[in-house]
Amino acid sequence: MMDLLLGGPDRLAPYLMLAAALFALGVFACVTRRNPVGYLMGIELMLNAANLDMVAYGRFRSETAAANAQVGSLFVIALAAAEAAVALALVYAIFQNLRDVDLDKIRSLNGEEP
Amino acid sequence: MNVATLIFWPLVAITLVGAAGAAFARNLVYAALSLGASLAGIAGLYFFLQAEYIAVIQMIVYVGGILILILFGVMFSRDIQGTSSQSSWSAKLLGGLASLAALVSLGKLSWTISQKEGLGLLATRSPTSSWVGQISSSSTTHLGDLLMGPFLVPFLVIAVLLTVVLIAALGLVRKDAP
Repeated sequence: MMDLLLGGPDRLAPYLMLAAALFALGVFACVTRRNPVGYLMGIELMLNAANLDMVAYGRFRSETAAANAQVGSLFVIALAAAEAAVALALVYAIFQNLRDVDLDKIRSLNGEEP
Repeated sequence: MNVATLIFWPLVAITLVGAAGAAFARNLVYAALSLGASLAGIAGLYFFLQAEYIAVIQMIVYVGGILILILFGVMFSRDIQGTSSQSSWSAKLLGGLASLAALVSLGKLSWTISQKEGLGLLATRSPTSSWVGQISSSSTTHLGDLLMGPFLVPFLVIAVLLTVVLIAALGLVRKDAP
């Protein structure tokens, strides 16, 4: 019955709908998580939703568009890897200094005692 | 209903449920593991989109690399089970509203565009050829040609950026960091 609503794997609609849902879940994780690692998971979800959208659009457009979209998504994956490495390094640096990584409790730059 | 459809919808379900787990699970380890399931499901969907190379790279970089990094990062948390550090109701309400806005706007946009599929805005090419068995052998070759041709400069910039990022990450975690 899902086929009647959205079409199967050879239609554009299910990919776009799935990407929209993934993006919304990523936004929710970003706003509600108090741990920076959970926050990072939300960002990864949003990046993946954008990638899926891009590749799906290219696939249903033309051969050239499909190849260009795949190159673009490769770049996004590389940037996501770099971003995750820097984020984890920051988490480790904060943990070394403050012994806790709760985003709501990191206020030492605000003039409060850690 | 053919075999492709029978594989496709469970993949979509795994991706959705995994993403929901990553967003809602209290225990951070469970959240990271269900994020891994979601990322693997997306890799499977790339096969349906005839992007085999991207699918393999997704498995290697995301499931093999970033997920492990995240699991390491979870260990720095004092409260992995999430028993005491729950976000406030206002944060949850705000998150729900923001994600609802994103879902409604993106969903409406996606629906409108995908309804125009047949009107020539998006030419659906060979709608019956998206079965996994028909791997387009030229796709990866074409990708390499593009990376070494018109996309050479961005490719080099990404390479330099990755080097800089690795050195910067090492500098951040040095014991005698400034």
